Amino acid sequence: MELTIGWLYPTLMSTYGDRGNVICLQRRCQWRGIGVKILPLDRETEADRLETVDVIVGGGAQDRQQEIVMRDLKGAKVERLRQKIEQGTPGVFTCGSPQLLGHYYEPALGEKIEGLGILDLVSKHPGFNARRCIGNVVFEITASPLAAELSAMLGEKPVVIGFENHGGRTYLNSTAPLGRVIQGYGNNGQDKTEGAFYRHAIATYSHGPLLPKNPFIADWLIQTALREKYQQEISLTKLDDTLARSAREALFKRLELTTAAKSA
Amino acid sequence: MQLADRVRLGLAVAAAKAVTAVVRGLRLGAASVLPGEIARRLHPRMLSLLCQQVKHGVILVVGTNGKTTTSLLLRTILEKSGYRVIHNETGANLLNGLITALLAETNVIGQLNRDFAILEVDENVLPLVLKACRPRFILGLNLFRDQLDRYGEVDTISKRWQDTIQPLPNDTVIVLNGDDPTLSFLGQQLPQKVLCFGLSEPELYLDAIPHAVDSIYCPSCGHLLDYAGVYLSHLGDYHCPNCGFHKSKPALDSQDWPQILIGVYNKYNTLAAGLVATEIGIATDLIFEAIKNFRAAFGRAEELTVQGKHIRILLSKNPVGMNETIRAVKQIQQSGQSSTTLIVLNDRIPDGTDVSWIWDVDTEPLMAGGGTLIVSGDRVFDMALRLNYSHCELDTNGKPEKLIIEADLEKAIATALALTPADKTLHILPTYSAMLEVRQVLTGRKIL
Repeated sequence: MELTIGWLYPTLMSTYGDRGNVICLQRRCQWRGIGVKILPLDRETEADRLETVDVIVGGGAQDRQQEIVMRDLKGAKVERLRQKIEQGTPGVFTCGSPQLLGHYYEPALGEKIEGLGILDLVSKHPGFNARRCIGNVVFEITASPLAAELSAMLGEKPVVIGFENHGGRTYLNSTAPLGRVIQGYGNNGQDKTEGAFYRHAIATYSHGPLLPKNPFIADWLIQTALREKYQQEISLTKLDDTLARSAREALFKRLELTTAAKSA
Repeated sequence: MQLADRVRLGLAVAAAKAVTAVVRGLRLGAASVLPGEIARRLHPRMLSLLCQQVKHGVILVVGTNGKTTTSLLLRTILEKSGYRVIHNETGANLLNGLITALLAETNVIGQLNRDFAILEVDENVLPLVLKACRPRFILGLNLFRDQLDRYGEVDTISKRWQDTIQPLPNDTVIVLNGDDPTLSFLGQQLPQKVLCFGLSEPELYLDAIPHAVDSIYCPSCGHLLDYAGVYLSHLGDYHCPNCGFHKSKPALDSQDWPQILIGVYNKYNTLAAGLVATEIGIATDLIFEAIKNFRAAFGRAEELTVQGKHIRILLSKNPVGMNETIRAVKQIQQSGQSSTTLIVLNDRIPDGTDVSWIWDVDTEPLMAGGGTLIVSGDRVFDMALRLNYSHCELDTNGKPEKLIIEADLEKAIATALALTPADKTLHILPTYSAMLEVRQVLTGRKIL
């Protein structure tokens, strides 16, 4: 078995440690003896190469870098990316990436940036005087059927812990939220929604990075990617996640969320 | 200065000095910020009035990494040349910290009798400082991503620097790291005299551009820069194949220069201080002498001996800094002089509350070599997790064999010391607040 991780614009869209998501997927495959290749999807990559991708990872970017990406993601590349997501290729898109996948992003300064319109959501920056949404974020995954599948894997409700750092606010239309905020701002600081979930694509504001401290999501991505590729259910070897658990416990304790998180 | 200003300045200075005396008298700390804050409230033009009095001028030092070490070297050179120098040496680099440092050297009526002031300035605060202060030099070291939770992004900072430096008088001298595309471009936009320093030593090129970069795109047109080679992060020899933007020619040849301490990053710090000193008119042999005898600032490749063991503390507070300290440690390890490394990760305000940056650090070399790794700090498990993911092989019990996790810093240091053979060096890589704690444990005294 082998998986190819398609990494969207590694040098442009990896400002906040989101490389950790790629490292996490790569290692968890290697540790299980699953072959793994990392394919950088950057400006030099031909659109056809997207065909070979089994799981997609996209990270956050600074504004200038995000604009460079938006300029490059046109035509055949966008169509292939749209097809992949529509066909059920799993992916995790953080911060700038969901903004990119929505209809548009309105920055604090300058013109509205058209998105790819794959997710039915819009993002807006409320202006330089508005506070950036910064801090530890905790949310429960509620999207269906993801929540049920993760609960089955975990034996408990899937609670995600991460760090958010975004100026833009996201508002969902028909696309389902990924989860419900327990602590932090989430999509817009108002409606308690966090992220979005569509087909097998996970969009979130949660850096941290997302996957190492929430390894159940990494395993869900790997399992889904294998199922989509080999068209059969493949059960994953259990890994020792003691360190991730300790890191989560330490933060829950600090945020005084031990009981809240468990009863969430 | 007008009489009213002088009286008000005198009053504000007296109040601030009283606060310093009380804080120190009660042993509450070193009073590196509070007196300045009080004086600033009492006299809004405080910084301006103090800066005006510095005889030969103010030197502002900005940049993500290297401010303290570079300032200390420059100060040493100037003092050896007979100048009297003020420097905010505690590293308090916000407005109140600058004022506090200047106040400490005034007499009771606010007169300042110094030749030079070297002020380390936080990259975000530079525009504010320039409203109050007409510097003789601005020294720009580098711009890396750092503490994005507080500061926002490299491009935004560089643009704000450009907007605030442009209107300054034309006799302001701007000294910049030409190997940093963002700063080189900034220099090319300025009307002032701009001098650049940089490396011309291709044998020091890295094998590949590290992941922890965000400025490898042309600051002028956005095209991918073409690098002949990279010295560290995005610092290197580059040009833009699209619009022709290229790095500014260095004002000195790095091949002729010795360096302070260890690590490629300290070559840059040496050249930066050396170029400013040269421009001031100090003789090269005197500068070289100061470089040869230089002693590290606290926590910046600082060396201590505790319980007969040699220790080197290498502040590691952002991806670029940590990549470089790891590079230096590995080099020493390969020469057989070190086998034990302690990493301390905190997430307090001075460190940045977001620790996701550790995933942009290339920790793989640390896990690949022999020796023992110990981790500690507020976010000990996050660091351990990062290190664990540096392994592509999983051993039987799921943990790397040489990784010791100890949340309690005193115990972690004791363990690290015990595991360090007498003839080897213990390397400690702490974030900023962790560095202060480590020093306190090792030396038994507070510095801030």
